[in-house]
Amino acid sequence: MNGRNPSLTRREFLYRAAAVGGTSLLLNTMNAWGMGIASRVSAPPALSGSGKGKKVVILGAGLAGLTAAYELGKLGYQVQVLEARAFAGGRCQTARKGFALEELGGETQHCGYDEGHYLNHGPWRIPLDHQSTLYYTRLFDVPLEVMVNDNDHAYVYLEDAGPLSKQRLRGAQIKADMRGHVAELLAKSVKDHQLDTRLGRDDQALLLDYLVNEGALGSGDLAYKGRNGRGFAVNPGAGLSPGPGKASDPLAFGDLLAAKVGKVYSAVQEFPMHATMFQPVGGMDQIPRAFARRIGKTIRYNTVVERIRQAPDGVTIGCRDGVSGKLSTIRADYCLCTMPLSVLRMVDTDFSERFKAAVQAVPYSPVGKIGLQMKRRFWEEDEQIYGGHVLTDIKGIDTISLPSGGWQQRKGVVLGYYNYSLDAIEVSALTPAERTEFALGAGEKIFPAYRDAFEQSFSVAWHRVRHSLGGWGEWTDETRRSAYPTLLEGEGRVLLAGEHLSYLTGWQAGAIESAWQQIERLHRRASA
Amino acid sequence: MKPHPFLLALLSVALLHPCAGQAQSAPDGKALFAKNCAACHQADGRGIPGAFPPLAGSPVALGEPAQVATVLLKGRGGMPAFSGSLDDAQIAGVLSYVRASWGNGAAGVSGAEVEALRSALNVPPAGRSRFGNKH
Repeated sequence: MNGRNPSLTRREFLYRAAAVGGTSLLLNTMNAWGMGIASRVSAPPALSGSGKGKKVVILGAGLAGLTAAYELGKLGYQVQVLEARAFAGGRCQTARKGFALEELGGETQHCGYDEGHYLNHGPWRIPLDHQSTLYYTRLFDVPLEVMVNDNDHAYVYLEDAGPLSKQRLRGAQIKADMRGHVAELLAKSVKDHQLDTRLGRDDQALLLDYLVNEGALGSGDLAYKGRNGRGFAVNPGAGLSPGPGKASDPLAFGDLLAAKVGKVYSAVQEFPMHATMFQPVGGMDQIPRAFARRIGKTIRYNTVVERIRQAPDGVTIGCRDGVSGKLSTIRADYCLCTMPLSVLRMVDTDFSERFKAAVQAVPYSPVGKIGLQMKRRFWEEDEQIYGGHVLTDIKGIDTISLPSGGWQQRKGVVLGYYNYSLDAIEVSALTPAERTEFALGAGEKIFPAYRDAFEQSFSVAWHRVRHSLGGWGEWTDETRRSAYPTLLEGEGRVLLAGEHLSYLTGWQAGAIESAWQQIERLHRRASA
Repeated sequence: MKPHPFLLALLSVALLHPCAGQAQSAPDGKALFAKNCAACHQADGRGIPGAFPPLAGSPVALGEPAQVATVLLKGRGGMPAFSGSLDDAQIAGVLSYVRASWGNGAAGVSGAEVEALRSALNVPPAGRSRFGNKH
């Protein structure tokens, strides 16, 4: 704390914001401070005053660092971003032809996808709820397209699902049939007066009307016998054959219950996974590239931070040139450190023991992805699946995801697995060739053409990627209580920002919104 | 007759693990290490400077069993918790392997010790949930 009463300053400022910009500026400002009426932060903080004459060094050119550099630059601060890699984006990366990635203790992979094909091996989706990310894509004219995040026509393939194990089911079949069976059960319970103590006569009639529609029940017998939304056995068409087509039989209620398909619903129904989901056209790295086009001259690439020292009047960063090995130091009035905690904990700092312990307290999630370039879009041509995810419980696979673009082209890159935690560790112990074999062995259980169509792969294990060392910070209730407030407060002239300092961990929005919050804090300190 | 070195090893394992005899099948610490640990700490236990700490000669790995087992149960400084996917006997097995490999010479850890610790730390038992969709 800097000793001032921030609420007074805020209130004064809000009065002025309302006077100058009317209620919209007022609401925007309040939202940006996390005190608004709307449930999300959708614009950077409206900061008054100027940063002229003050220098801020920002460690890391990921989304948090880029956001802070852009916004602080607008306020007049002299900004210097130090980035260990040769490009901006941090974990926001896109693998396409020519992209190389070295894993610690492993091989360097060179991506060889055909022109126009790519894998977002870092973040890959932008939910409608993340207005902060969408704020910059709109501001910077980054073209977006819909990312098919929920496709009921895609397969659900479970190996541990009782009588429905190892069957290719369409999501739509499971959902239609469960809705139908449950609606039938409930409707018959109403009919048999089993809900008389819970529902009045009028509401019973209304509920029956609802259930008949919701579950596609017969209006007389209240029985569920399937619905066309689950798909036909023979699709309707011209003439007499196929003519009206042939209806399909529903899955048995008992089988669905034994298969425990509730998890199929939770897979993408939860916040913030619902439609509409977006992705930038051409790869997620279009976002950091758009930032870099605007603030590129403030970024010093190939600059690895090795040392952080503070004095009463400033911060000194010791760094090493990643190419030449040359050592240098950079002085600034303030430092915003956006390095992941998994990396920061390896840096030589003069933080207090308490602060160091907080940095140490947060484990990072191991995360793995593999992108398989297929020479033929068999999922579209043979299975009529256009984008979306195949949900599976095959160990270490979790999700097989089909590309949300390039429809009906010849080739495509399929996400062959997206694993976390211990599964990601186990798979990361494999060589790239073994990982490919692992992914193909699983995928061919679901798609007969999988192995034949495969051309080449590119995989990542984020916990083995230098300068990242993990996918995202993993918090527990305990560390949120013990370490989180300490890290949010920063120490002296060093403040931290990143997805790890948000409740949107692992999302770009977490990085952006954390940066917004921390530059306000930094500006307050610098203006005090 | 000179005892076979393998038998000696078995015997020492049995001595170090009071419950080893009762266990259905003692977990293979080396295989567990290759699967769960070697991707970062490397097969030779030497880690990677600046990223993954070495386990060979590590004061943490060779220290109090409860302390090192806590690291596996709860995670620490970048390393995830293994409590969700490794059960107590497996955690004991992999720890015992680490503490006896690459020149390390610390006593093994028993499944019972890990079990007691898991309960004391209020860490839920290992689960097998295989369905996820994050980020």
